[in-house]
Amino acid sequence: MEKGARPNWDNPMQFLLACISYAVGLGNVWRFPYLCQMHGGGGFLIPYLLMLFLEGMPLFYLELAIGQRMRLGSIGAWTAISPYLGGVGLAGVVTSLYLCLYYNIINAWSFWYLFHSFQSALPWADCPINSNRTGPVEECEMATPTQYFFYRETLDISSSIEENGDIHTGQALCLLLAWVITYLFIIRGIKSTGKVVYFTATFPYVVLFIYLIRGITLHGAINGVKYMFTPKMEQLANPTTWINAATQIFFSLGLGFGSLIAFASYNQYNNNIEFQAIIVSLINSGTSIFASFVTFAIYGFKATINYENCLERTRLLLLNAFNLAEDSVTIDSVFEWIEKLNTTYPQQFDIIANKLENCDLESELNTAVEGTGLAFIVYSEAIKYMPLPQLWSVLYFIMLLLLGLGSMLGNITAIITPLQDFKVASRMSNELFSGLVCLFCLLLGLGFTTSSGNYWFTMFNDYGATLSLLVVVLIEVITVSYIYGIKRFEKDIEDMLGHRPNWYWKIMWAGTSPLLLIVLLISYIINYIQGGAPTYQAWNIELVSVGFISSPL
Amino acid sequence: RLSIKTALGENAYVWNDNEMFLFRATLAFAMTKQFDGQVSDIIVCNQTARVSFWFVVTYPHNKTLVDKQVVERAVRKSRNRINSAFLLSDTTLEFIGIPPTLATPVNPSTPTWLIVFGVVMGAVCAGIIVVLVVSLVQRKRKKNETNEDTQVKTVENGAARDGVYYMSFSEDESSVTQM
Repeated sequence: MEKGARPNWDNPMQFLLACISYAVGLGNVWRFPYLCQMHGGGGFLIPYLLMLFLEGMPLFYLELAIGQRMRLGSIGAWTAISPYLGGVGLAGVVTSLYLCLYYNIINAWSFWYLFHSFQSALPWADCPINSNRTGPVEECEMATPTQYFFYRETLDISSSIEENGDIHTGQALCLLLAWVITYLFIIRGIKSTGKVVYFTATFPYVVLFIYLIRGITLHGAINGVKYMFTPKMEQLANPTTWINAATQIFFSLGLGFGSLIAFASYNQYNNNIEFQAIIVSLINSGTSIFASFVTFAIYGFKATINYENCLERTRLLLLNAFNLAEDSVTIDSVFEWIEKLNTTYPQQFDIIANKLENCDLESELNTAVEGTGLAFIVYSEAIKYMPLPQLWSVLYFIMLLLLGLGSMLGNITAIITPLQDFKVASRMSNELFSGLVCLFCLLLGLGFTTSSGNYWFTMFNDYGATLSLLVVVLIEVITVSYIYGIKRFEKDIEDMLGHRPNWYWKIMWAGTSPLLLIVLLISYIINYIQGGAPTYQAWNIELVSVGFISSPL
Repeated sequence: RLSIKTALGENAYVWNDNEMFLFRATLAFAMTKQFDGQVSDIIVCNQTARVSFWFVVTYPHNKTLVDKQVVERAVRKSRNRINSAFLLSDTTLEFIGIPPTLATPVNPSTPTWLIVFGVVMGAVCAGIIVVLVVSLVQRKRKKNETNEDTQVKTVENGAARDGVYYMSFSEDESSVTQM
């Protein structure tokens, strides 16, 4: 094999699995269920699927076509289309770099939780005991053990983004491991990536399926699923619903980073990307819906358990305050007894009235969470109540790892491929160059393992990539449709696939998708201006709760 | 305060005078350990259906009440024995005002997670080293081969590597006569 020849995927299946592994990531698991719940449950599927056809599939197909046609990474591909547009590719590379910096920290957390699952009692199940051995640690007592484990033991979080503590050595070790594994996966470019994606793309589905079976057999799971899927159609009148659906489709498919261009550039010239684009987009959305089913079964389980625990505590309170026989008040009759006792012994009841909690299943279900809170706090809380929690914990965190690493593969490839097209980098061996990139990202990523690391992570996650990606993809689609020309693009595709794209694709590329992207961009800018200074949620150590702080940045 | 049904469920025994007698006897035992063999008197009052009651302890010879702290200390010492006499635990047999001393958490010398981490890290590093060595060996072998076939390299290959390959001109190849 001469040095100049471009490596290829061993077969089209590898490419397909690589795209699936890249697109199906953590966002499918922790963002979509939240959106579904916020915007009316089953009804949200309507705007979601509509946006999939209006912008998701066309833009995905577009990026794949460019990559396969130009056979270069994003910088080279855009420069080949027009020398003035190299910046588009460069923007993609820089955004991918940002993502690589902070995304692997999630994998580090997953590793941390995974390794801590190999104990007889899960460390987030109970509060650790304080030094006097009189009771649980105070901070843990005011919050829940799962929150304590995440904020204190995993992150050792400070109160605000300005207070940078020390590097958490456990976290740093896990981050090192995450990068070492990433390096192993990309060490020989797509030759190694191609083999890895067989596993990273398929195993999460195995785990999701197992969790589905486990989830629906859990006590109270049906409450969650019912709650989620009851459509609240009035939400469809809210424009935020449509905007969120469009944004979710856009980011979920991973457009604009250049990863798709990079992956497709290693394809055989005649690879049928039209079919693959449709399949991957459908699988991506299908996985979101599937994952939200599982998530809501778990939610329902957790909410029901919390509700029943609350009732149990109330029952004990009543028994102890009024010295009733143990079996007189059962869990089902707690509310009746409250009524009865309130009327018969009003003074005595007043004494305990402030200790009485309001046990409400609806409000438990209403605690919709997204993001790392869902993945690491809510899910681990649900897992600790399951029988044989270590097994479920290990399975779950391996799934999170595979989802995260799969997306990392795409993003790292998006950096390495375009840079390797330049003569400077191609003089070095693949292994050395990849190693340098990984080392660079590791060193910068150590900043996220400090005490304020989670806040930096939130800042990067919420504000780092969104605007750039919208602009990049908008320019991409306008370029291809109007500057390069739809006619020329059509001919290129005919050259590659043997048939022209039909009217649906052309209308989407030339009209609908750019319009939608402009709408998204405008709404993002409006939100940004109206929102004032960016805010982030901080762990307040005195109140032991999460509150919003305005960022000084 | 006892929560028998919570603790034992189906196997719960009924609380009657016999059980109360056992309680008084157990507590007397606990006090005896404090006072070295002199049995004190346990007086119980205010029994309720919850199965909760107040009790006081008197000194063995006179009828003065024993201090609360002394009783607490005695109970704390023999808590385990008292609990097992009734097949209950610290949470189901509550002495209001005497918090249970919690067991020291087991702290292994190396945290478990570090062990698993070490295993995984070792495996991954081994994998990387293997891959690097294999590719180095392959490259050396190829270099030895190409040193022998340098004459075989055609001009065409050289031209393709030096120029920039423009896709749009690829159709022209068909017009070139095949050699």
